[in-house]
Parts: sequence; C-alpha cells; structure tokens
Amino acid sequence: MRFKPPIPLMGLRSAVVMFAVFCAAAQASDWPQWRGPDRNGISAEKNWLDQWPAAGPAIAWRASVGLGASSFVVGNGRVYTMGHADGKDTVFCFEATSGKPLWKHSYPAELGDKFFEGGTTGTPTLDGDRLVALSRWGDAFCFEAATGKIIWSVNVQKETGCPVPDWGFTGAPLVLDGRLILNVGEAGLALDKSTGKVLWKSAAKNAGYSTPLPVELNGRSLVVLGSSKSYLAVDPVDGKEAWRAPWVTEYGVNAADPIVSGGKMFISTGYGKGAALFALGASTPEEVWRVRSFRTQLNAAVLHDGHLYGVDGDTTSIASLKCLEFATGKELWAHKDFRTGAVSMADGRLIALSGTGTLMIAPASPTGFTPTASAKLLDGKCWAAPVLANGLIYCRNTSGSVVVVDGRKK
Amino acid sequence: MKLDRRSFLRTSAVAGATFAAAPFIRTAPPGRKFRTALIGCGWWGKNILKEAMASGRCQTVALADVDATALEVAADQVNGLSGDTPKTYKDYRELLAREKPDVVIIATPDHWHALNTIAAVNAGAHVFVEKPTGHTVNESRAMLKAVRDSGRVAQIGLHRRIGPHHVSGMKFLKSGAVGEVGMVRVFAHGGGDAEKPTLNEEPPDGMDWDFWCGPAPLRPFNKKIHPGGWRNYLDYANGQLGDWGVHWLDQVMWWSGDAPLKRVFCAGGRPVRGVPVLNAKEQTSDAPDHQVATYEFEKFTCVWEHRRFADNNSEKHKIGAYFYGTKGVLHLGWRDGWTFYPSAKSGKIEHENAQLQEPDGHNLALLWADFITAIDEHRTPTANIELAHRATVLPLLGMVSWRVGRSLAWDATTERVVGDPEANRLLSRPYRAPWIYPQA
Repeated sequence: MRFKPPIPLMGLRSAVVMFAVFCAAAQASDWPQWRGPDRNGISAEKNWLDQWPAAGPAIAWRASVGLGASSFVVGNGRVYTMGHADGKDTVFCFEATSGKPLWKHSYPAELGDKFFEGGTTGTPTLDGDRLVALSRWGDAFCFEAATGKIIWSVNVQKETGCPVPDWGFTGAPLVLDGRLILNVGEAGLALDKSTGKVLWKSAAKNAGYSTPLPVELNGRSLVVLGSSKSYLAVDPVDGKEAWRAPWVTEYGVNAADPIVSGGKMFISTGYGKGAALFALGASTPEEVWRVRSFRTQLNAAVLHDGHLYGVDGDTTSIASLKCLEFATGKELWAHKDFRTGAVSMADGRLIALSGTGTLMIAPASPTGFTPTASAKLLDGKCWAAPVLANGLIYCRNTSGSVVVVDGRKK
Repeated sequence: MKLDRRSFLRTSAVAGATFAAAPFIRTAPPGRKFRTALIGCGWWGKNILKEAMASGRCQTVALADVDATALEVAADQVNGLSGDTPKTYKDYRELLAREKPDVVIIATPDHWHALNTIAAVNAGAHVFVEKPTGHTVNESRAMLKAVRDSGRVAQIGLHRRIGPHHVSGMKFLKSGAVGEVGMVRVFAHGGGDAEKPTLNEEPPDGMDWDFWCGPAPLRPFNKKIHPGGWRNYLDYANGQLGDWGVHWLDQVMWWSGDAPLKRVFCAGGRPVRGVPVLNAKEQTSDAPDHQVATYEFEKFTCVWEHRRFADNNSEKHKIGAYFYGTKGVLHLGWRDGWTFYPSAKSGKIEHENAQLQEPDGHNLALLWADFITAIDEHRTPTANIELAHRATVLPLLGMVSWRVGRSLAWDATTERVVGDPEANRLLSRPYRAPWIYPQA
C-alpha cells in the first residue's frame, strides 16, 4: 500500500526532524481524510479508552448538522462535516474538543431523496491549511480550513459535462501531488488543487460512489476508482487507464472502497452482488476468489492481520458485521443485526457504529466479536463511519445528530 | 448514498447467503415446477420474482429487459438466490416464442402492461402483472378480453386484496359495525416541493431507450424517469392517482360489491411542482402534485385526494381509506393497520395492526401463493383481472376528467362516457409506430 510510514526508511536523525515537522503541521492522531491517514479506516492512535463506565461513555459535545451520511475529518484542532437542510447543504467546522462552531458555509442544493431521505453523502478532505469538499451535484469548494474563506469553487458537472450518477457524486476528494482527484466521470477527474482548473477528465459516463484510492503497484502510482460498471485504475498524472475489473452492481452502486494489499484488490458491493479478491498485475486483474456472502453496500471493511471486518447487507436488509479471511474469502464469524453501519479501527480494536446507533469497541479478532464497551448513542439510521481522532470518537446519524464520545485517558 | 429502500436482497442476511438454493426456499411443496419468466427486471419485478423463487414452485428460465445491465444484475441475483441460470432477452416477444414459459411476471412500466400481458397469455402463459392493468381504459379492456379468451390465470398485483388487515378490516366493515356508510374518502399524502428541471442525458450503455418508451412517446432519457421515477411522467403512468389510487379505489369496489360508477369529476394541478418542462436540454415530471376526484355512486360518494407537499402531522392518517358510517369511521390504512373510531361517546376504539412483509410493506407472498393455487386448482385468483380492470378504470377516468376539465357521466355497462366524444377519445391514445393499440 501507499503511504506506509516513511520513518523506518530513514536514519534516526531525519526521522526525528520529520516527526517534529509533522507535529507542527498536525497532531499525531488527526484524521484528515476519508478512511483516515492511510485511507484504510485505521488510525495509529493507541492511548484511548476501550472501556466505559456502566453509565456509558463521557460525551464531549453534541451538535446538529442536517440530513446526510457525511463522515468527519479532523485536523489542527478542528472537525468538519456536512449536512443538508431547507434546500441548502452546509459545510460545518467545529472546534474538535468543545464543539464550538467556528465557521460554516451553505450553498443551494437539492435534497436528492431518491429512495432514501436524501442529504449530503460525501465527506470533505483536509489538505494542510485547506479543506476541499464536493457536493452530490458537483459543487467543488476549496476553503481556508481555519476560516471557511473560499479560495476557489467550481461546479465540476457543468465544467466537464459528466453526468451526475443517480445518487450524486459521493466519493471524497483525494489530494495527491498537487492534484485533486474526484470520482467524477467514468474514470475520474483531476483538478489543479490550487486553482480548481481541470487537468484531465474521463468519459462523460456515470461515476461510481467510492473514494479515489491511491496505490503503489509494481513501482507505479495509480488511483483506483469504483466506476459504474467496474473498479478501475488510472494514472493520476494524465488519467490514462491502467486496468479495470468489470464489476456490475445494481443501479451502478459500486460504492464501498476497494482494499488493496500485497498486490491484491478486495472488492465488495451490495444488492446481492458479493465480494471478490483480484490479483493485480500489469494488465487485467485476475479473480482469485469470489463469495456471495459478503455484500457491502456502503462503508468498506477494514483489513487487519489478514482479516477483513465489515458489513454484509443493504440498508433494506438486516445486515451483519462479519469477519472474512482476506486470502480465501472464508467467513469466520457474523455478528447479526448490525445493520448498515460502519467500522473503523485503532490499536487492534474495532470501533463499530451499528446502523441503529450503537457504538461498540471490540478487539479485532478472527475468533469472534466481543465488545469491551457498548453504548446506544443515536437513534435513526447511522450510515457514516465513526471517526477516532485524539481520543474523541465522532458519530452521527443520517438526520444530523452528532455525538462525540470522549475516550481520552485522563 | 446509493441507498435504496428498494434493494432486492432485503432478506439477504436471513437467506443464508450461499450459492445453493436450499436455504432460501421456504418449503419444497409437491407439484411440478413452473417454467417462469420475468419481463421488466427493475426493483419491483425482482421483488415478485423473489416470491416466485421462495415458493419453491418456480424455476426461473428467462428474463427480459431492454437494459442489458439490468438483465445482467437480475440474472446474477437469481443465480445467487436459487441457483437457476435464466436466459436473458432484450425483446419479450422473443422470450415468449423461444422459452414458452408456463408463468410470466410482468413488471414493466404501465404503458407496457397491455402489450406484454396480451402477448404472454396468447403465448399460453399464466400471468402475474402489476397494477394498474392498463395505462388507458381501452388497453385494460383489451387485456381483460385477451385473458378471458385465453383461459389463462391472471393475477394482478393488488396485494391489498389479500393482506390480512385488509381482509379483517373488510370483514369488520361488512359486519355492519360501522353502520350505514354514505361517504368514503381515499387518499395518499406526502411531502414535496418545487421541481427544478433535470438535464437530459444519453441513455446508459446497453439500454435500448427507444424500446423502453415503446408504444408511448419518446422522451429524451433522463435519470428522473428511469430508474424509479416514471410514475411521475404521464406518458408512462398516471401519477399518484394511477398508483396508490388503484389500490384504495379497489378497496372501495371490494366493500361496495362493485357498485357501478355514475359520474366523476377531478381537479388538480402543479401549483407547487411548477409548470412541466420538456425540451432537448432538460425536463421535469408532469404528473399533478395534487388531485381531488369525486366519484358518484348510487348509494355513496367517494372522494380521492392526493397531495405531494405540505407533509405534516395535522392529520392522523396520511394514506388509506376512511369509511364514514352511521356508527363511526373506519380507517383502513397501510402500516397503521385499521382503526375504528366510534361515533358513540361510550364506544371503544378498535384497532388491528398491519401484517406486512417488510421493508416494502406488502403481502406479495400471500398473493403469489394464491396465484399458484389458482393455477393448480383451475380457479379464479383473488386479485383477478375482472376486479383489477374495474379498479383501474376509476383512476383512469379521473385522469380523463382532469384532462378535459369537466365531469364525466359514465355508463358502467358499455364502459363509455355518456355524450362526450372528446372524453371517449381519451379512453385510448395513439401508439408510436410500429406498436399497435390493442383492441378489446
């Protein structure tokens, strides 16, 4: 995978310098982008509480952000998310520890309630002192992260003529080497991250709903996208397609992010489709195994020590949390009635928010799901991944109630 | 995101999740397996097909859809659920000719029901077709004739004829507990707002959009139409009145013993959604955002209302039928079951909960079982085409009255509007070549 920690490759002295630079820019346990620092749903954070008092966890703060399934990003003491109300989407910035509102920006947007309640579905991305966000209808914004001042904005649908897929653009922006890569068009779109100008675009066909995933394969940098009928890889420099794995899911909902590890790519989608592992080489990916019994409609699994932990089932089914062996696809356990929630991880422990609002902390183990802490935090539907950053766990439901659990060790 | 209350695999967790058929099939009842085909592989068609597979009495041999991707998805899902490997066809006529299915499920948009159904029964198949029967009155008449002539069993998707709380609610109503009913109000209310035009697009790769439009006008492809939005486009359906209206007006027919309609007047429009837009660049829907239709019968009056804005909690029930009797009011609803509100101060409210298949809140399994039994026993099914035709004619006449802007006197025997040639012309509509309007 890309973004392996660079420190082990350096001498100790440069590592110390590097660490100091890193700390100046951001706290060690920030979560600046979708699925975290390494885009795998896993935080490097260790010093946080995995057990709560009988009365439940301490709640740091609460807020209401409007309708949506947008998750959180955290950096430099600030947390960001999005929501929809009264014909407008709003990008929110709060002080991360107190919930004090720092800024917000609203823009007109459709509710987009096709077969669900509607509202925002994407998650913004922090890039140092900037925040970028993409709406379902193609409005891309680059803000000053501290103030909310707009540096540039462009509607990428209008700019490129690429169609808006049925549920709108959903993948979070990827910032990579000066480019902003979006899951827009059949095989992605790149903007100049400092100006919003189009660098390259792909065919004006439906995008899928995953977040562009940067990978390093055989010495080559690529970005993998869920498109409407395949998962495909493009060169981030020029958008040239490297390969594609045909993958047809109902309504074109290739949404869950692919997981790439050891030259293999794991894909899972919902609507009865299932999951597969592909071996990645220079050309067309080769299927290693395929199973029907792991169908992730929304939030991708996490991969830890050769095991996948994630959701099998759709929002309309009674989805389970499952553990699957990465190498073989063998199912090791299923925790029923989890619904379409999401899982993230830190320090070998799963942080699992059920689709009905119960947050559970449990060791990531192929032998079973045994929470050390569990609390019903939210009502309604929870489709946004919980985010751990600097000891706080950020959770929300689709109607926009935000609850922040204080899991800091005192 | 991508979230869809309408997913095929709502019971996926229960289904056991293997390629094998065994865990999914509830029972393995005796009797031969019917060679079954589906025409129209969207969300609802697959819901019905799932009931067919779950019944253990059907082998899925073929699927038809004008969208190659929809076909691929459906074939994969069928294989996952039953192990069957259905053949796939773009053209339903070719499917019928080659596969000669015993049973055909039809879940295309309304504008296709008549041609699909007539072709299927003429090919010797028993048919399960979604309501409404036709998109215009004379299509429905032609379907009725074709089914009668063929001697095949036709079940129409009026699952509220068999849903347990509807059966018991109707029994309560007919017992006289509500007293003499002089007025019925049927309604379906929801929220909504002004509508902005959506950009037209090229149809998706692999989709024959011209074929999808078929006998109806060819509109530019637009995501608001397909998938899932065509009910709001009058070229392909009849809006809320032609959807929910069929179910609830059918309940009125059931209660009244098929009382003949005498007169109808319907008003409505799009004051909130706005004037319909249709041009090369973009379009909106064109179905009314509200309608009120008054149906006059000899012994009672029935009012239909729908409103797709101002959703609120000022009314106790948002969907269903109120039967107003001398002893009180019966509300027959959907997820809220039925409730009797007595007039007498000393009276007690009576209530029965709904018993529905979730998440979609229907009773398809019961309706499917009834269909199979009707085929086995050579009897008329519960939601047969005779009653479904009558239930469909009411909303379609409401739409005609709304279009001409005046009340219509109806002769229920000849099924003609009395003294109104313009309205009678609207009982049919021109078909787009090469399709030919079916004759009763």
